[in-house]
Amino acid sequence: MMKSLFSSVVLVSVLFMNSFSEVQGGKWKGEGTTQNLESIVIGRCYDYIRIVNPAVGEKNCSAIWEAFKNAFINKDPCNILPDDYELFINLSFHTIPPNKSLFWENNQLLVNSFAGRGRRYMSLADTLFGFVADYLTWCGQANSTGLDYESCPTMEECENNAVESFWRKASATYAQHSSGVIHVLLNGSVVGGAYPEPGFFADYEIPNLQKDKVSRIVIWVVDDIEGPDIESCGTHTVKILENRLKTLGYDVTCTDNYKSVMFLLCLDYPDDSKCALSSSVFSVDGSLLSDGPFTDMGTI
Amino acid sequence: MMKWKDRGTTKNLQEVILGRCYSYVMARYPELGDKDCLKIWESLKHAFIYKNPCNITSEDYEPLMELATHPIPCNKSLLWSKTSDVVHRYTKSNQNFLTLEDTLLGYMADRVSWCGDPSDPGINYESCPKRSECESNPSSVFWKMASKLFAEAACGVVQVMLNGSVEAGAFRSSSIFGSIEIFNLNPDKVSEVHIWLMHDIGGPQSESCSGHSIKRLKSILEERNFKITCVDNYRPVQLLQCVHNPDHTDCRLCTNTTATP
Repeated sequence: MMKSLFSSVVLVSVLFMNSFSEVQGGKWKGEGTTQNLESIVIGRCYDYIRIVNPAVGEKNCSAIWEAFKNAFINKDPCNILPDDYELFINLSFHTIPPNKSLFWENNQLLVNSFAGRGRRYMSLADTLFGFVADYLTWCGQANSTGLDYESCPTMEECENNAVESFWRKASATYAQHSSGVIHVLLNGSVVGGAYPEPGFFADYEIPNLQKDKVSRIVIWVVDDIEGPDIESCGTHTVKILENRLKTLGYDVTCTDNYKSVMFLLCLDYPDDSKCALSSSVFSVDGSLLSDGPFTDMGTI
Repeated sequence: MMKWKDRGTTKNLQEVILGRCYSYVMARYPELGDKDCLKIWESLKHAFIYKNPCNITSEDYEPLMELATHPIPCNKSLLWSKTSDVVHRYTKSNQNFLTLEDTLLGYMADRVSWCGDPSDPGINYESCPKRSECESNPSSVFWKMASKLFAEAACGVVQVMLNGSVEAGAFRSSSIFGSIEIFNLNPDKVSEVHIWLMHDIGGPQSESCSGHSIKRLKSILEERNFKITCVDNYRPVQLLQCVHNPDHTDCRLCTNTTATP
């Protein structure tokens, strides 16, 4: 009798404890806060104002970090709202040169390369407010001023998490201050559609574009080199996007496989027929393909 | 404080270096997790602070080099000369190759400057010596040493991107590549050297693979027992050059599936 009572107590205790500890001790399913977050954010802030884009002038990087942190620490990590980052945006804001805004969906690495770190275009990640947070993860916890390094909530667990709300606020700000010719780079090989709804561009950027500041919207739909041509200008979700923008009163143009971007995609597929240059006579390894204007080439 | 001709130490150098170190280790190469960024910063600072900036030696940088160097995977080293813009755009778009500026040491130091001064606060934010003012300045000594170590670390196939549109010749013995890197490649580790000789799109074709300075480079390398190949306008890099010159005749695509905006 005593033994079986003891066993049930142990059993109940074990079950009780198990319901509290998640996998590996983390509360949430997503990656935890990036290590050394403060040093990275502050370092990137100074990197940006001293080296990447000194034209933005003097900024108080410690204050920017404090404002960033205060947006989400000591709060329920599932109750962080975009406007919690208002002070951070005010301190890190700078104007975006006209005709340089580049919006995108489903091609982040491509956009990074194409923008040229702000020299050709200034994507959100090339602004100070986007630069400091790019590729980082962060979240806090209720009733504690510490950052959670073990895990952070995913979108599925809750939408109003620190990272999601940050990018919603940053995207809205970026769109609000974009002017001149606006460019949008979409991926024509994605199964969900080149223009995703819901999506950042659809929900946080288009609604914040300023009609009186935007002269034209140029859409580029680019397929992966070896990917399927699922969508193009005038079809499916791209058509939906074009119509939406036109209805809003914007002057819209759309181009398939814009050459400049194609060349960038071709870097990984230099021998694909889509990437063959008519002036080029060599295969990637240097072996001669055909006679051409360059006669003294090859292995020495 | 002494007065020099080049720009001074980058303001907030400590924050920039620390941030880059953590970014590189945590966000880009987590397998380097054992790097102590604070120690790395301290060793950089002690290499030049309070010292006469014309008197810097490689010994000054030894602790930093020890802490910050890391192994490079074989076949990925990419050396370069007079092709800074395109070579770094290439490695950012194609993670198959690494220049010195893609290693932790180069990443931290790229586009940043520093020099010391014997008077307080020991760091000169106003100006730093140019090479013409004195050779043993903090920047020149740093890059020479880092380049030497980068070459020493290379294994397998080594790639080199040179500029065939430069009047003075694609290969110059006075460059860091020509004076330091080629002499520090280890013939026991490096099997081949592949030269990519790039011409500017629409630029002069001052030199090609059979050119005079390339022949000189070839003989220096062959004497050290390296096998050498050379390609004019290595296609993937030329494609990258075409991103900014899509309508140039050199960038005409064979297929007609593309359109200009």
